[in-house]
Amino acid sequence: MLKAWKKTFVVLVLTLSLPAQVFADTVYETELEFLSRAFVDSPPEPNLLWLSGDRKSAVRQLLGHDYSALRLRYWCQAGRSAWVLDKIGKELPITVGIIVENNYIKNLRVMTYRENRGGEVATPAFTDQFIHAELEGNNKLNVRIDGISGATLSVQSLTRLASMALFLHTESNCSNES
Amino acid sequence: MNRKKRKVSKARRLHRSLGAGAAIFVLFMVLSGLIINHSNGLGLDQRHISQSFLLDWYGLAKPENIHSFAVGDDWLSFAGSQLYLNEKSVATISGGVGAVSSGALLIAAGSDELLLLDHDGNLIERIPWGPIGAATIESIGLHEETVVSVKSAGQLWLADTQLLNWRQAYDASPDPLWAVSESAPGGLQQAITASYRGEGPSLERLLLDLHSGRIFGSIGVLVYDLLALALGFLSISGLVLWFRGRRNGKPK
Repeated sequence: MLKAWKKTFVVLVLTLSLPAQVFADTVYETELEFLSRAFVDSPPEPNLLWLSGDRKSAVRQLLGHDYSALRLRYWCQAGRSAWVLDKIGKELPITVGIIVENNYIKNLRVMTYRENRGGEVATPAFTDQFIHAELEGNNKLNVRIDGISGATLSVQSLTRLASMALFLHTESNCSNES
Repeated sequence: MNRKKRKVSKARRLHRSLGAGAAIFVLFMVLSGLIINHSNGLGLDQRHISQSFLLDWYGLAKPENIHSFAVGDDWLSFAGSQLYLNEKSVATISGGVGAVSSGALLIAAGSDELLLLDHDGNLIERIPWGPIGAATIESIGLHEETVVSVKSAGQLWLADTQLLNWRQAYDASPDPLWAVSESAPGGLQQAITASYRGEGPSLERLLLDLHSGRIFGSIGVLVYDLLALALGFLSISGLVLWFRGRRNGKPK
C-alpha cells in the first residue's frame, strides 16, 4: 500500500516538473512552391511596394495596427499578383500566400502556422471561402467568412490579410496590367 | 494505566518535535505575510530585484554571448535571439552571423534570414534566405565596398542595390570584406545585458513567491502544502493533548 503511494507521489512530482510541450512551426508550403503554383511558367522577378504615407495608414486601418515591415515584395505577371504576408494570430505570426487577379482573390493558403491551437484555418475547407472575395467600398470583404471556434484570432488575421492583399494589389502596378 | 501514559507521552513528543520543526516555517510565514500586507505602503511593488543570482533563478539569464558589429557610426549586436541597434532592441533573429551597412540600409544576417533596417532601427524587410540559397548563411560582407554579399555553403551570393534579387558570383570574384565581430564599448555591452534581462520581478512578487513556495516551482508548492498539513495536524494534536491533560488533571 505504502509502495503504491510512493509510486503515485513520484509520478506526480515528475509530471509537475515536466517542461511545457514545445510545438514546432507547421510549414504547409514554401515560398518557392507558392510561386510555382501562382505562376505556371517561371515566376517573375519580385517587385517592391513601400508602406509609407497614405498607404501605410490604409494598411493600419485594414490590419488594426502597422504592418511589421516598411516594404513588401510581390510578384506580378499578366495582372496576377502574389503576396506573402505575415500577421500575428494570437501570439505568433501566421504566414499566408495570397494570389490576387482582377481585384479578386484567386487563392489563399496558409504557408506557415506557428500557433499551438487554431491550425484548422490552414485547411482548404476554410481557406477556400476566400476565393473570389473582393474588397467593397468600406474596405471589407464582400463575402462572409465563417469562423472556427477556438481559432477566432487566426480567422480574423487571415480575413484582414486577405483585405490587405486586395488593397495592395490595387496599389501595385499589377492592377494596371490586367 | 502505564500504557495510556506512554501513549500520551509519545503523542506529546511527536507534537513537540513537529512543533519545533514548524516554528521556523511559521515565523517566516508570519513575517512575510505581514510585509506582504503592507507591500504597497512600503513601496515593494515599485522596487525591482537586480541581484544576478535571483534574476538567473527567475530565468532572466544573461545572454551567453554578445556579438557586435560596427555599422557606420552605430553598432548592431546579437544577444541570444535579440538584435540590438546600439542599446535598443529592434527585432528578433536566430543565429546571428554578421551585419553590414550599405547606404541608408543596415543589414543583419541570421543563419536563415536577412533583416533590413533603417538607421532608426525600423524593420524594413525580413528576407528569408531559404528561397535564395538552400544552405544557411555563413557570412555577410560588402563586395567592392557597396554590394551586399553573403556566403552560403561556400558559395558567394551578390545582391542588387535594393537587395531584391541575388546572383551567384563566379569563383574568380574577389573576396568581399566580411563583417567581423568586434568588441563593443563596455557601457554598450552592459546596457544590452540589462535590456536583454529586462526589468526584474518586483520585491513584492519575490515575497509572494517565497510566501507561497512558488519560487521553488511546483515542488515548492507541494512542500508548502505538506507543511500546512503539518500545521493543521499540530493544531489538532495540541487540542487533543490539552483535553487529555485537563481530563487527567481532574480530581476524581
